[in-house]
Amino acid sequence: MIRRSMVLWTILASLFAVAMFLIKHEVQIREARLDALHRDILASQEAIQVLRAEWSYLNQPVRIESLIRRYMELRPTDTAQLGGYDALPMRVSDASAKTEVEQ
Amino acid sequence: MIPEAQTGIPARQIDEAGNPTLRIVGGPKRPIEVGRSRLLVAGAFFAVAFALIAVRLVDVAVLQGLGDPSVVRESVSGAIKTGRADIVDRNGVLLATSLAVPSLYADPEDVIDPEESARRLVTVLHHLDPAEVAAKLRSKKRFVWIQRGLTPRQQYQINALGIPGLHFQREERRVYPQGDLAAHVVGFSGDDATGLAGIEKQFDAALRDGAKPLALSMDIRVQHILREEVSRQMQAFEGIGGVGVVLNANTGEVVAMVSLPDFDPNLAGNAPDDARFNRASLGVYEMGSTFKIFNTALALEAGTATMTSGYDATKPIQIARFTINDFHGQRRWLSVPEIFQYSSNIGSVKMALDFGTEAQRDFMDKLGFLKPVAAELPELGAPMAPKPWRKINTMTIAFGHGIAVSPLHLASGVATVVNGGIQWPLTLVKRDPEQRAVGQQILSRKTSAQMRKLLRLVVEGGTGGKAAAPGYLVGGKTGTAEKPGKRGSYASKSLLSSFVAAFPMHDPQYVVLVMIDEPKGNKESHGYATGGWVAAPAIRRIITRSAPLLGIHPFDEESPEIRQVLDIQSPLEKGRKRLASF
Repeated sequence: MIRRSMVLWTILASLFAVAMFLIKHEVQIREARLDALHRDILASQEAIQVLRAEWSYLNQPVRIESLIRRYMELRPTDTAQLGGYDALPMRVSDASAKTEVEQ
Repeated sequence: MIPEAQTGIPARQIDEAGNPTLRIVGGPKRPIEVGRSRLLVAGAFFAVAFALIAVRLVDVAVLQGLGDPSVVRESVSGAIKTGRADIVDRNGVLLATSLAVPSLYADPEDVIDPEESARRLVTVLHHLDPAEVAAKLRSKKRFVWIQRGLTPRQQYQINALGIPGLHFQREERRVYPQGDLAAHVVGFSGDDATGLAGIEKQFDAALRDGAKPLALSMDIRVQHILREEVSRQMQAFEGIGGVGVVLNANTGEVVAMVSLPDFDPNLAGNAPDDARFNRASLGVYEMGSTFKIFNTALALEAGTATMTSGYDATKPIQIARFTINDFHGQRRWLSVPEIFQYSSNIGSVKMALDFGTEAQRDFMDKLGFLKPVAAELPELGAPMAPKPWRKINTMTIAFGHGIAVSPLHLASGVATVVNGGIQWPLTLVKRDPEQRAVGQQILSRKTSAQMRKLLRLVVEGGTGGKAAAPGYLVGGKTGTAEKPGKRGSYASKSLLSSFVAAFPMHDPQYVVLVMIDEPKGNKESHGYATGGWVAAPAIRRIITRSAPLLGIHPFDEESPEIRQVLDIQSPLEKGRKRLASF
């Protein structure tokens, strides 16, 4: 009776020991990976910060303006080119437009 | 309970399975029962303890572990804390940020051959002097900086040299990607990431703690336009300095602010003092005729003059050793709108004498012209006001001499005059549109409406014609002040030419100020260096270029609704007719 439960407990204990070892090992591997990921994230964050700074630097209005002058045919908008809906002439109403089409 | 126990004879029983069970009764029973109950207590204790541990285990492993690992802790990689928050403009364009950069230092004890090491090191860091570097490498210290803030390429090359005793340390460095564009507003910070000027200094503590970027009220696109146009006028007229301000008239937000010459905050240490000086906020100047805006507003508000009244401007005013004369002399009786339109000094002085010294000082005080403006900058100039405030001061202040204020004061004052009389505290930080700041009504709506008409008149038919940007209903006032000379007299050759404008005049949204310091007349301006010739054209171009960005569409200037709001009716015509009989 005692021997039987001893065997059972021994088996259980060694099973737990093995499981424990495996889990701990797995945790170690995962922690190392987490560490590496954290490092990567930080490095990426720093790289993003550098890129953001560079983006802002490359988008200096002075630079954009000189590039546009050199490579594009865009010109500053003239006030006369701007307008709103209110300034448009009266639209032909839908009904009369339809009759025109029918004719 | 058990009958056999009373007999003292051991009882033999057969259970259901047929196995005999023996129950010991009598004497030995008690110790065993005690042992059993003790075992039970101990067992219960351990069971509870293990249960607690199990619960805690689940708690730690399952419940708390869920949200945690997604947060990157900087201690994990040993990175330095890049704690200083970014500064961005109102649209989120990066103006200042912190980057981690490598810095090179040496541990001289590990350096084998200082001369050779120095010689090789300067092949990468060209600007260093080999003798100086060698001296550093020979020193007895265990730590000497060689060069702070390397580029990644330099770091790579130095690593490739393989010189023993050289090490890198990661440091934080403040970078200003927009360079000199917003130098005076953003300011700059030192090597150890402490703010030394501008917003960087004003918000030093907040930037250090904050993770969220600080959004300024500035719009970098408008800032660029302003800087370009002010710079163009400054060069064309060979000015020694220039100032530009674009102010939101209804919130007090500074949308753009330029002070020329300026500097690159990335290399702030090399900038001359003159370039670092913020003329827009720290410099105080006698503004000249632009002050007639406030003079006229006060006269209308006090009721000592009306839109139809007039003054005799035929003769110069003699007071003490001064003669007050008109630049655009009309030499006749002028109505109040005409005094403003032709910028008559004589008429303005007479208007000021009517409301008096006390009223003038009170009004200047209300406008905030007697103390520094409320903007978030460490560089704020304190105005210079006369003390005591005599009658002669009242007379000169009428046309903007004898009181010196900063360009920000002037822009803020004009915003108050045109926006319906409400004074908003100036700010360089983007305002939350939800929560409006508390403004102060210091001028009646009626006076403000009259002033809008007068300012429009100056551009439509007065000294400010060159500021007219078609469609944007520009109104404004020229100012040409003579700068005080060395011996306290006014030098008529060194001028301060300015133009302060608001648009669109029937419902002013923005105030624009341009000021050129000591312009010299050129061929194009027929030798003139006045505000109307120097600053007004810049105003026209700034408004034409930036209005679409600011969300203001052109208006039909001749539409009856607008004419009704801005036209000054009969008095002019009446005045002319009446003049004919003089």
